[in-house]
Amino acid sequence: MKKLTLPENFDHKNIDILKQFITETGKIIPARVSGITAPEQRKLTKAVKIARFLALIPYTDKQI
Amino acid sequence: MNHYELTLILNPDLASKFDPYKEHFESVLSQLGFNIHYCENVGIRELAYTIGINKKGHYLIYQLDGDPANINELETKIKYDNSVIRHLVLKTDTVTESDSFLTQDTKEAKKRTEERAHEAKLKAQVQQQPKPTASEIKEDESSSEEKKDESPSGEEEIPTTEETSEKTESENEEQS
Repeated sequence: MKKLTLPENFDHKNIDILKQFITETGKIIPARVSGITAPEQRKLTKAVKIARFLALIPYTDKQI
Repeated sequence: MNHYELTLILNPDLASKFDPYKEHFESVLSQLGFNIHYCENVGIRELAYTIGINKKGHYLIYQLDGDPANINELETKIKYDNSVIRHLVLKTDTVTESDSFLTQDTKEAKKRTEERAHEAKLKAQVQQQPKPTASEIKEDESSSEEKKDESPSGEEEIPTTEETSEKTESENEEQS
């Protein structure tokens, strides 16, 4: 997989960035695959989970 | 005093009632001692999954300043508000006073759907006007060609079907 970079300032509203770090099924891509650092991954997971709650990003592809 | 970010997903059916609702909600916020720094009206977005029966939602994002003691009261008020599908209060370090990516994204999505609808309309108009004559000519040509093509092959095919039908009939007789 191509190494992705995470910008310094982002939050749950930047869904264009978050969508790069989730799979087609909606799972969060592990840091060892995406190549981002551990602190970055911690920030990312929080943002993704908030975005999921606000129905900006799907939890799974099985939901209608 | 803390900074808060309040996100509301409202029922998209509010439509004309949206502006009075917003005013009412902002008066509730000020009653509870919250200072509104910025209100981002994102607009109606398609939800990633259905919430209840709703497939779309009207997103509103408030940047607030207020007393942490009043947050619980605010949450209970939102909880019993039927026009709010979902809400989230987040404590933030800084107050951002500009539109986020979401507003831009929803505007672009709206443009895209409008363009698609416009193109579909144009296509429908084009198809309605000149097509009858063109299609008739085409049909005539194709039908004549089909007849030519079919005539030899059709003769060949018919006996085979008859043979098979005869076979099945004979088989049926044997079985009976």
